[in-house]
Amino acid sequence: MIEIDIRLPLAHFTLEVRCTLSANVTAIVGPSGAGKTSLIESIAGLRRARGRIAIDDAVLVDTARGIDLPPERRSIGYVPQDAALFPHLIVSENIRFGGTDRDRFDSLVAALELAPILSRTPASLSGGERQRVALARALMTRPRLLLLDEPLASIDQPLRERILLYLRRVRDLGIPMIYVTHQPFEALALSSWCVVLRNGAIAADGPSRSVLADPDVAGSVDNVFEVSQPAHDRELGITRATTSDGLTLVLPYDQVAEARFPIVVRIRADDIVVFGEKPASISSRNVFEGTVASLRATEGIVDLIVTTPAALTVRITRAAAQDLGLRAGSRVWLALRSRAFRIVG
Amino acid sequence: MLHILLFTLVVAAISTVCIAPVALALAAWSWRAGTKGLVLDALAALPLVVPPTAVGFVLLEILSRRSAIGALLERIGVAVLFTPKAVVLACAVMSFPLMFTAFRVAIETTDRRYFDVARTLGASPVRAFARVTLPLAWRGLLSGVLLAFCRALGEFGATILIAGNIPGRTQTMALAIYDRVQNGNDHEAAVLVAFVVGIAWVLVSISSILIMQQRRRLDA
Repeated sequence: MIEIDIRLPLAHFTLEVRCTLSANVTAIVGPSGAGKTSLIESIAGLRRARGRIAIDDAVLVDTARGIDLPPERRSIGYVPQDAALFPHLIVSENIRFGGTDRDRFDSLVAALELAPILSRTPASLSGGERQRVALARALMTRPRLLLLDEPLASIDQPLRERILLYLRRVRDLGIPMIYVTHQPFEALALSSWCVVLRNGAIAADGPSRSVLADPDVAGSVDNVFEVSQPAHDRELGITRATTSDGLTLVLPYDQVAEARFPIVVRIRADDIVVFGEKPASISSRNVFEGTVASLRATEGIVDLIVTTPAALTVRITRAAAQDLGLRAGSRVWLALRSRAFRIVG
Repeated sequence: MLHILLFTLVVAAISTVCIAPVALALAAWSWRAGTKGLVLDALAALPLVVPPTAVGFVLLEILSRRSAIGALLERIGVAVLFTPKAVVLACAVMSFPLMFTAFRVAIETTDRRYFDVARTLGASPVRAFARVTLPLAWRGLLSGVLLAFCRALGEFGATILIAGNIPGRTQTMALAIYDRVQNGNDHEAAVLVAFVVGIAWVLVSISSILIMQQRRRLDA
């Protein structure tokens, strides 16, 4: 359990965070400049915040009692946004900076698939490779908490899934993680608890799925599902999988065949097509009947929440909403193309 | 003439070696101290801007028998004034600001985050500095050492006040040039000038290349 109750004056506002985190993986979500990085730097000991930070029984900061452990005595692994690998050391030396235990080194190299790049220099690595090396380096210290700052920000889509896979492996090692992201769907992919930070204060916190379902909080219009129980049909090119709220989704076989379920998939709100009546023949493999629970119009755009009964966010033009005569309570059919799903990880 | 050159090189080398650890420690401290370090930065830069003769005068006062330090040195039988030691001292004091400032810049240009990350990996500040910041800054540091060495080679004003201009004992290249010009021996002066300019030109060039390399490496 991580207790945080800190104040840290920043340039434009004072970061004031008070929360207790008991989830295995917590996501800190918020727009740029919300104070996310400052918060995890305070936990790591790189910024001197006032207040109290404790992990289980270990008090890291308690300014009232004059306690403020330096970073090297906090046992907290920190992976900054750009990995910050030491440029003068090769990959294996970077990893060993965190500790010299051979067995641990070997097992991390295996888990994060680093063997082929051990003698390379950081400058020659891709963004994803850097993240993995930084992750291994931090884990060599046997941290009691791992802090990740935007671990996926500098990585392109296909590689993101790999990194998320590695992060899941780390999560499965049982090391608590706090990770910062400005993309709500990334938060959903890994975390069970979520803290939304805005202007240095907590705007919302709670279980990730419920906190991030609110577009006002998440600021995004993505639909994210954790799916499990895959039924592959190679010949037809589809995989059926069930979401945690009971929806059966049809996903493209070739993209998920190799994945280790459960996986997280997302579909953009404007990739969903709305029908006023049941479509008779259609290529979309996912057609759900639902009821418009709410509409929110902003300058030519209408965001609908449709309950199927699982809630889906749909974004259409105002013209489309008028043509279909949509209002709260309208019966609609939603079509989701299989190939519009993106695998988050 | 060769022994003057040799004497000057040795004196400049000793002075440079003596001040390097001090300059490094103070530059590191000042870097860590942030705004508090500015006071030290300004103090260390002083000999760069006040007349060298003023520095020489202050050193002369400190080392004279009238002062506590001078009296103590005399009691333990260490003579400094008008000896080669005084030449080293003058070179050290006059070249210190250049080295300190160069070290400060070299350390500053390494990304502080590497130091921070090293600490989260369990390294104490000293270890993080030695294993991460120093190796990243070595080109800039070496450039500072070379600059300080060149400054020591050319030191004149403070030296002549506390070490005099004793041929075969305290006469460096800079003093020898002055001497030759005073005596109308322009030919010998020209040869000495050529030596000094040649050495300084090579070393300053190397120093500039090192700084350029450090900048490029850290930008990459």
